[in-house]
This record gives sequence, structure tokens and C-alpha cells, in this order.
Amino acid sequence: MIKFVVFICGAIVMSFEILGSRVLAPNFGSSVFVWGSLISVFLAGLSAGYYLGGWLADKKPSSRKLSLMIIIPGIFFLTFPLYSAPIADWIFTKDLGVRLSPFLASIALFLIPSLFLGIVSPYTAKLMICSLHTSGKTIGTLYALSTFGSIIGTLITSFYLITIAGTNTLIMGQGILLVAVAIPLYFMDLVCAVEK
Amino acid sequence: MVRIFCLLVLCSVLSPLQGAALELSEKQIFEKNSLYQYISVVEDSVKKERYVRNQKREYAQGGIYLNAPDKLLFEFTQMGFVSLAFLDRDPKDVLFVGLGAGAMPRYFAWHYPEAVIDIAEIDPDMLAVAQKYFYFKDNERMKTHIEDGRLFVKRAKKKYDWIVLDAYQNDYIPFHLTTLEFLKEVKSRLKDDGVVVSNITSTFRNKFFDSMVMTYKKAFPHFYILKGRKSGNFIFIALAGSKIKDRDSVEARARKVQSARKFDIDLEDFASRYEPAEAYEWGRAKILTDDFAPVNLYQHQRSAAP
Repeated sequence: MIKFVVFICGAIVMSFEILGSRVLAPNFGSSVFVWGSLISVFLAGLSAGYYLGGWLADKKPSSRKLSLMIIIPGIFFLTFPLYSAPIADWIFTKDLGVRLSPFLASIALFLIPSLFLGIVSPYTAKLMICSLHTSGKTIGTLYALSTFGSIIGTLITSFYLITIAGTNTLIMGQGILLVAVAIPLYFMDLVCAVEK
Repeated sequence: MVRIFCLLVLCSVLSPLQGAALELSEKQIFEKNSLYQYISVVEDSVKKERYVRNQKREYAQGGIYLNAPDKLLFEFTQMGFVSLAFLDRDPKDVLFVGLGAGAMPRYFAWHYPEAVIDIAEIDPDMLAVAQKYFYFKDNERMKTHIEDGRLFVKRAKKKYDWIVLDAYQNDYIPFHLTTLEFLKEVKSRLKDDGVVVSNITSTFRNKFFDSMVMTYKKAFPHFYILKGRKSGNFIFIALAGSKIKDRDSVEARARKVQSARKFDIDLEDFASRYEPAEAYEWGRAKILTDDFAPVNLYQHQRSAAP
């Protein structure tokens, strides 16, 4: 189950990034500055999330807490259409230049959700590591699953999803997916048997 | 194993041949990977023509006759000018979205020296190429703005008589320049009787073409379609005003423009061939919006309409 969660979160990060380019285009175009902003903000969110996730993981980790970390971006996604257009329009009217405008919009729209999705990997690693002898293998598996999820997320979104549904619908769909995987996680008690 | 080896050898022999898809008479004189695209300038020594291309094998984005750089080489650039016959007066304020080789704005400026022209082009290297190889020059009446077309339109304070939409990335239009929201923004930048003309390439009737038609219909009260004879290009002519243009008045105006401005293209012939968009009605084609616009896929899907 927890491996599946890591896979889904990996898929959603990249899927969201692809959709992010669609969200930004109406107000900020599709210049290199838009792509640069988008990618760097996602990476910033992820790296902050990794750091924070590692820090949190050392404070009484539980799958219940993990499920909350996943529900939060889920709620951001579910309500995305409500705030994305007003925020993007507002930044557009401020006219801060071709670089700063898309950069700020990316921060406002994508930083927090990607930060929470970044928390997932180190946090699950902590939950799943049962012994130091196999910790390398556990971490390796999680990395692989997360990145494999990202590949699938990128491909499915750009090849198919964009062609069958609107951007807002897809982002809300991701929100539903995140909440759907987080809820069972909340009621599970995934603590290592060995550690107990 | 041997078979795989043979295949590899074959591939390595064939791939350089594929890459160099120039005609024998063609010579590449410039090439660059710009921020947005691959730009290649090619000269044909037999036809005496020069083109700018974005892919090695693809159609040219623009071009000129080497011996007559002031003529319009491509049919779609000629066809675009017929839209001037839908305007009852001379255009004064004009906007081009997408520069290409700059042939259209240059031709226009030459025939309407009094007009004030803005050009929105995203790629600074494209401007450099137009200047260096295609005799394009900015001046006090014609200014190229290096900016995304959508942003330029959104930020424009001015209203225009004539807007030309011809922004392509390789062989498709960037999605945010195809949507209903964008067309409404374009309409809001037109004067009351202003005209917008758009170049739509479509090698066959694909889903993109159908969706584009329905999107224009939704954005503009009246819109007309002209199909190229030699090329797979369509020209969309949409009017901001609600006054219907009848063919006689358009043809008469085309004649007048033709003689007054000494056009060396047959505007009247184009004017006799356009069709009102009412003839095109596909209820099933989806309207393109900022939220939903799968332009890349639709370009490659055959039309569902009969």
C-alpha cells in the first residue's frame, strides 16, 4: 500500500508540472522564462519538502501523519480552479516583467503543493526502514518507485489526459486521487514490526 | 546478432541521408538553435528563392524571391491580404502576431507607407534572421516587439484596424494562441469595424481545423474562409463588427485596393473565392479554450465531421 502511495505521489508531481505549463500560458505565455520558472519552483518545492520530510520523520513518524501530509496537497488540488485564475490574473495586472511574473505565479500556485508531495518520500522511507541491514534496498526501492511514478505521470498526462479533459478537471482529479490514497493510509498502522 | 548489427550499420548509413533532406539545388546558408526553435535559412540556386525553415524536412515558414524580394513568394501570404477588402477604409493601425521572414509586414508597409505597424515575435533570433537574410527592417512606423503574442495582445492599450495572426511553432500554432479566450482578447483590441486574419495550415480536414472554425464562430459575429489553390493553407477572416459583408462589396473593395495600392497579387480573384463560415457547421467539434485545447493531437486526427 505505502509503495503504491509513493508511486502515485511521484506521478502526480510531474503530471501537475505538465499541467502547470497550461495554467501559466494564458497569462504568461510559453516563453523559456515560463518553463524555467515552472521547473525551478517545482524543484525548490521538492527539495524543501525532502528536507522537511526528513526532519518530520524523526519525530514520532506514523502513517496517520503521512496521510495528513498527502491530504493537504489533495485539498489544494481540489480547490485549485477557485484560486488559480484570480492569482494568475492579479500577477498579470501587476506586470512585473517577463521573468518575475511567471516566477511569482509559479511560486504562488505550485510551491506549496510540490513541497508537501516532496515530504512523502523521506517520510515513507523512515516508516519502511525496519533494519539498517536492508535500509539501502528500502530507500532504493522507494526512489525508483517515486521516479517511475513521475515518468508514468508525465507520459500519461502529456500523451493522453490533456487530450481528453480540461486542465482544471485533471488537477481536481489528482486531488481526488490523493485524498483517495490518503484515507486508507490514515486508518492503517504501519510501524515496523522489528522496531517494536 | 548479425542481423542487429546489419540493422545498426544500415541505420547509421541512412540517418545522415535523412537529416540532409535538402534538394540538390539547395544550400543551407544559416542554421541555429534559438531559444524556441531550430532555424535554418536555405537558398535554392535554381529557383532563385530563399526560405526559412524550422525543421530540416518541413515546409518553409517564410521566404523570398532572390531577384524580386519585394514580391510575395508564398500563396498564404498573398491570400492574407484579401482580408483588407473586408475593411471599408485604409488600415492605419496594424498588428502582426508572428514575424516569420517578415514578408507580410514588409509588403504591407511598402504598400501602406502611412500605416503604423506593431509586430509581436517571441524569438529574438527570428528577428535577426529576418533582418539579415530577408531584407526586413524596423523603422519609426514599424516596430517589432520581442514578446509572446498572447501577452502583447493582452497588454496592448491600442486598438487596431487589422490584426494578422500567423504565429507558428514548427507546424502547429501554440495552444494559447488558438483558444476562445485569446480570440476574445484579440477582438477587444480591434476597432469597431476591425478585421482579423489568421493563417491556418491544414494538410487535410483535421479535427484541429474543425475546432478552430467553431472557436472563431463563437468569438466573432462574422467570419469567412478562403482556401488556398496551391497549398494546404486556409485563411480565416473574422470581423469585429456585426455588419454582414456581401460579396459584391468585398469584390469592389478588393478592386479598389488593388489599383489604389498597386498590389501585384490578384486580390480580386481571392475575393471571388471566399466562403462564409456558415457553410461550415460541425456541432461535434470541440471549442478550444484555455482549459482544453489539445492542438497537437487534433492536428494529426482526421476530422470526425462528414
